[in-house]
Amino acid sequence: MEIKIAVKNLNAFYGKNKVLKNVSIDIPQNKVLAIIGPSGCGKSTFLRCLNRMHEVVGGTVQGSIMLDGEDITRKDPVLVRRRLGMIFQKPNPFPTMSIFDNVAAGLKYNGKTDKKETAEIVEKSLKQAALWDEVKDSLEQSGINLSGGQQQRLCIARTLAIQPEVILMDEPASALDPISTTKIEDLIFELKKNYTIVIVTHNMQQASRVSDFTAFLYMGELIEYDATKKIFTSPELKQTEDYVRGRFG
Amino acid sequence: MQEHFSQEIENLKTNLIQMASLVDEQAEKAIKALETGDIELCKGIKSKDVDVDIFDNKIQSQCENILALFQPVTIDLRFVIAVMMINTQLERCGDISVNIARRVKKTAGAREIIKESQIIQMANSAKEMLKLSIDCFIHSSIDTANSILIKDAEVDSLNKQIFKFLVQKMKTDANLVEDCAHLIVLARNIERLADHATNIAENIIFYLEANIVAHKMKFQKRNIDEDF
Repeated sequence: MEIKIAVKNLNAFYGKNKVLKNVSIDIPQNKVLAIIGPSGCGKSTFLRCLNRMHEVVGGTVQGSIMLDGEDITRKDPVLVRRRLGMIFQKPNPFPTMSIFDNVAAGLKYNGKTDKKETAEIVEKSLKQAALWDEVKDSLEQSGINLSGGQQQRLCIARTLAIQPEVILMDEPASALDPISTTKIEDLIFELKKNYTIVIVTHNMQQASRVSDFTAFLYMGELIEYDATKKIFTSPELKQTEDYVRGRFG
Repeated sequence: MQEHFSQEIENLKTNLIQMASLVDEQAEKAIKALETGDIELCKGIKSKDVDVDIFDNKIQSQCENILALFQPVTIDLRFVIAVMMINTQLERCGDISVNIARRVKKTAGAREIIKESQIIQMANSAKEMLKLSIDCFIHSSIDTANSILIKDAEVDSLNKQIFKFLVQKMKTDANLVEDCAHLIVLARNIERLADHATNIAENIIFYLEANIVAHKMKFQKRNIDEDF
C-alpha cells in the first residue's frame, strides 16, 4: 500500500494550548481515512493541519506532514491547498456566483482563462460530484438556490475542479438529510478511486460505512489507528471499544 | 439512549436464557426416558416445543430491532449475532428432543440393546454438553466453552462405535433390524444434539473473543487460509 501522507510527531497549538500531541499516521493513497473522537479531541485541527489551515486561525504546528515525501509544513500554503482540497461541514457556495462560476472559481484564481477548457473542467467536476444531471440545465442560476445536499456536492465539484490529490472533509454530511447523506457517501466511495480522502465525522455509522481506515483521537492523542473493520469489530484498546460502542464521549 | 440499549440487550439475554431452560428441560426429559425406559416422561415434550418456537421468533424479532435501531458495534454486535445463531441452535435442539422422544417410544421394547450399545452414555454426554453450553452463555465462560469443543469429539467417537454395534446386531438377527434402525436414527439425533451444543460454544467464543473457531480443524487439515 502506497502512503500518500505521512504524518510524524505532529503537535498543534493554539497559543500555549497543545491540541494535538505527537500524532503519527500514515495515510494510504486512494483510501478513505476517517477521524473519529469526541468533541474537542483535535479531529478538525488535525484536518486543518493537513492543508495549513490551522495557521490561518492563529495556530502553530510542530512535526512533519510529508505529502508524497515532501514536507508540506515548509511549503507555500497556497500551493499546499491546491493539492489538498477541503470540504466543510456547512455547504458554502459563493452566494453571488452562478453554479458554473462556483465550480470555475478556483480555476480562475489559478490563472485558467480558456473558456472551452474551463467549461470542460466544470462539466467533468460536476459529473464527478454526481451533480451534473441535476444542474446541467441551470448552470447560470445561483448556487444558493440549490438544496443543502446539492450545495455540498457543488462545493465538492468546486474542490475537484482544481484537481487536488487529497480531499479533506470536515463532517461533510452532518447538516444534510439522509438521502443527501447517502449521495455524499456514495460519492466518497467513487472519489477514492482517484483521490485520497480524509474525513472527520461524529457519525460512527458513517465512519464505518465509508472509510477503509479509522483513527480514534482523544484529548489530542491518537489512541488507535487501524483498518475500519478492525476498529468497529474488535479494536485493540478498551478505550476505543468504549467510544465506538457509545459508552463515552 | 445507552441505558435503553442496555435494557434491550438485557431483555434479549433473559429471553434466550428462558428459551434455553425450556430446551434443556425437553432434552433432559427425553434422555431420562431413554435411560429409564419410562415413556411417560416423553409426554409434553412435543407440546413444549411450541413454546420454544415462540421464543425463537420473539428473539429473532428482538435481534432485528436492536440491529435496526441501535446499530451496535464490537462486542455488542457480536453479542446480537451470537444470540441469533444460538437461538437457531436451541430451536433445533428442541426439535431434536422431540425426535428423540419419538424414537424412545418406538424402541421401548429394545431395552437390552439400548443398554449394551452405549447410547445412554452418549446421550448423557450430549445432555451434559447442552447444559454446559447454556451455562457458559449465562456466565460468559470461555473455559467452559472450550471444554465443550473437546467433548464433541468423544460423542462423535461413541456414535461411530454405536453404529458399528447396531449394524452388527442387525446382521446377526433379522428380527432386530427395526429396533436397530430406530436406534441408529436415535443415536444420530443425539450426535446432532451434541453438535448444536458445540455450535453454541463456538458462538460464545466468537462473542467473547471475536474469534471464529468453527471449522478451524478442517481448515487447518486442508491448509485453507482463513484470512477472510
